[in-house]
Amino acid sequence: MAAPALPAAPPVQRPRVLIVGSAFVSAAMIMTFIGLIGIYLTQRAAIVGAGDTWLPKGSTIPLQQPNTMLFTLLMSVVTMQWAVHAIARNDRVNAYLALAITLFFGLSTIVMTWYLYGLMTLDISTSSQAVLIYTITGLHLLVLVVAMLFIALMAFRALAGSFDARQHDGITAAAVFWYAVVAVYALIWITIYVTK
Amino acid sequence: MVRFGLCRPECIRPNEVPTAMSITDSRQDAPASSEVPSAAVSGSLLGSGDHKAIGLVYVVLSLLFGAAALIIFLLGNLHLVQPDFLSSSASDTLLNASELGFVLLVAVPLFLGLATYITPLQVGAATIAFPRAAAMALWTWILSAGLYVVANCIDGGIGGGRDRAVDLGLLAIVGLVLALLLATVCVVTTVITLRSPGMSLDRVPMFSWSMFVGGSVWLLTLPVLLANVLLIYVDHHYSRPSEFGVSSVQGLQIGWAISQPQIYAYVIPVFGIAAEIIATFSGRRQPNRGAMLVAIGAFGALGVGAYAQPYFFPEVRDQIVWAAMGVLIVLPVLAILGGWAALLRSGRPTLRSPLGLALVSVVLVLLAVLAGALATITPLQLRESPMVAIGQLILIVAAALSSGIAGTMYWAPKFSGRFAPEPLGLLAILVALGGGVLAGLPWVVLGFANRFTGLDSASDALQYVSLVGDALIAAAAVLGLLALVGSFRGESAGSDAWGSGQTLEWMCSSPPAPDDFADLVTVTSAEPLLDAAAVQEA
Repeated sequence: MAAPALPAAPPVQRPRVLIVGSAFVSAAMIMTFIGLIGIYLTQRAAIVGAGDTWLPKGSTIPLQQPNTMLFTLLMSVVTMQWAVHAIARNDRVNAYLALAITLFFGLSTIVMTWYLYGLMTLDISTSSQAVLIYTITGLHLLVLVVAMLFIALMAFRALAGSFDARQHDGITAAAVFWYAVVAVYALIWITIYVTK
Repeated sequence: MVRFGLCRPECIRPNEVPTAMSITDSRQDAPASSEVPSAAVSGSLLGSGDHKAIGLVYVVLSLLFGAAALIIFLLGNLHLVQPDFLSSSASDTLLNASELGFVLLVAVPLFLGLATYITPLQVGAATIAFPRAAAMALWTWILSAGLYVVANCIDGGIGGGRDRAVDLGLLAIVGLVLALLLATVCVVTTVITLRSPGMSLDRVPMFSWSMFVGGSVWLLTLPVLLANVLLIYVDHHYSRPSEFGVSSVQGLQIGWAISQPQIYAYVIPVFGIAAEIIATFSGRRQPNRGAMLVAIGAFGALGVGAYAQPYFFPEVRDQIVWAAMGVLIVLPVLAILGGWAALLRSGRPTLRSPLGLALVSVVLVLLAVLAGALATITPLQLRESPMVAIGQLILIVAAALSSGIAGTMYWAPKFSGRFAPEPLGLLAILVALGGGVLAGLPWVVLGFANRFTGLDSASDALQYVSLVGDALIAAAAVLGLLALVGSFRGESAGSDAWGSGQTLEWMCSSPPAPDDFADLVTVTSAEPLLDAAAVQEA
């Protein structure tokens, strides 16, 4: 049986598909970390409640590197927003520069995390604390790399002329995911590095 | 094929239809021209970004996995009444593999498959959002499912005994969850962003709405399961310095994902499928549609269970929030049933197999939530025993499969251009209802064994009844599969196959042609086809 026809629609401005998709992915990513940090805090409360220190004796986590990473990532939020702002005004030179600096900040954070791992006297195969800390921070490192790949992909597409003032969803979507990654780091910074 | 007017290329922004797509691209309103690789058209599935091919593969494999998982579950439980049949460890492996498989290989992918196929058609989009990502999700799911099966075969499932195989099994679960999350993002983004003009969220078809609600809940809760599995993996891989990776507690850590309230999250689309079918076969608009949408949303909200992890928070099931959610979730189910009763009473329902299967699925969900509500009553002491939880799991799986088969039979004209064989559907109604009740209720009854000592002596008999029920549900999954295959040889169907379709998928040809919905249409209510028919009659 044939269905009756509906009237054709006038042209529409679709909501931003890539931005919405990135927001959902960011939400799922945040929930993964909330799950892990929830377990971390529960385990920590149990050990501290029993009168012990959370970190095993002899283990240390310096605070200088996490602080540096936090400020690096906060600066990267500014540069990422700079990229969005620039591409929205067709200022491609500034957009390229901002994306490059954001990627540099991301790379710096990875290097700093690796350096921090070297300084931490915490062996992953010796305690549940180490398992939790390395799982959470390691996963964040992985997500950071994914976010950098996303930015790099969008930067290459921008170089190929894909985005302009009217349509720059890709850059904005990458920014949304990047902000979520930085927000998660802020959560990690306060729960793992500061509240040791 | 029905045409909808003139193509309006100006509605497509130039950069939205790139010639070379990355995985982040979406074709949005682009005509599904020859540029879109279509399995239906080209016969090539591998690498296809066609939502129809992807959805169909999900449905077929989920039904196959459903039958297999139930047989494995049956064999695992056979150990309880025939201890010599299998060793305890082999039985545990089978049960762990099947119980998690019910969620990751059967229920969620079955609904995602239907949604991947149908949701774009329902909202009037030419394709799903991020078609390449949807294809990647499918292949990741298939690959991970294969690894999951292999790992379990070599003693590497949850709580398995072979270290490297357990690592493989855990990584397979990570892959399964990631794949399902990616597929969910595609479906939910489609509902949010690719709707036809005039289709506000309150006018979204019920199935799309239920997938939006269900997908949102999955996006918020399955990542927490991912977190649990990652923690188990890291601990297990690095020689188990803590308790996370210890075999005996691996299952306990992720047990929340197959217990209430989380278990309800997997059957949220049951209500959407049933709502579509009931409305179509009653030939009337759903009264109090807004209330129905709210009720489905409430069911989803009360199905968020990632917080209820008894392994880490042993007292969580003594808390008022857990108990309240377990009881309150009965209310939206009753509200939805009331809405459908009003609809069926006002119309003249045509009794076809999709309608029967849809009602069976809802009855099974109702039984599951009632069993869950009983479990919240502290004096009954049902929480101390896993029996009720197992019964609920089986009821939920049976409901998901019944609903999936109902959806498959209902939308078969869109899959194949032909009707599914009605006798198979009618048989599936009896088998699914009988299987669900026989498999699930004995476990719920056994939950009372701590209060009624006479039940202990009936334990074996009840277990046998449950095993028969498991076999029947597996048979229902096979019948669903046969019905789907049979639909390719059935009676041919027009665009509005049932003659009373209300939503946009019944406007496109059966099966949908690549250029269906190349042109946008305007909708003015939740039942656009009824509007168009009224205009035509006037």
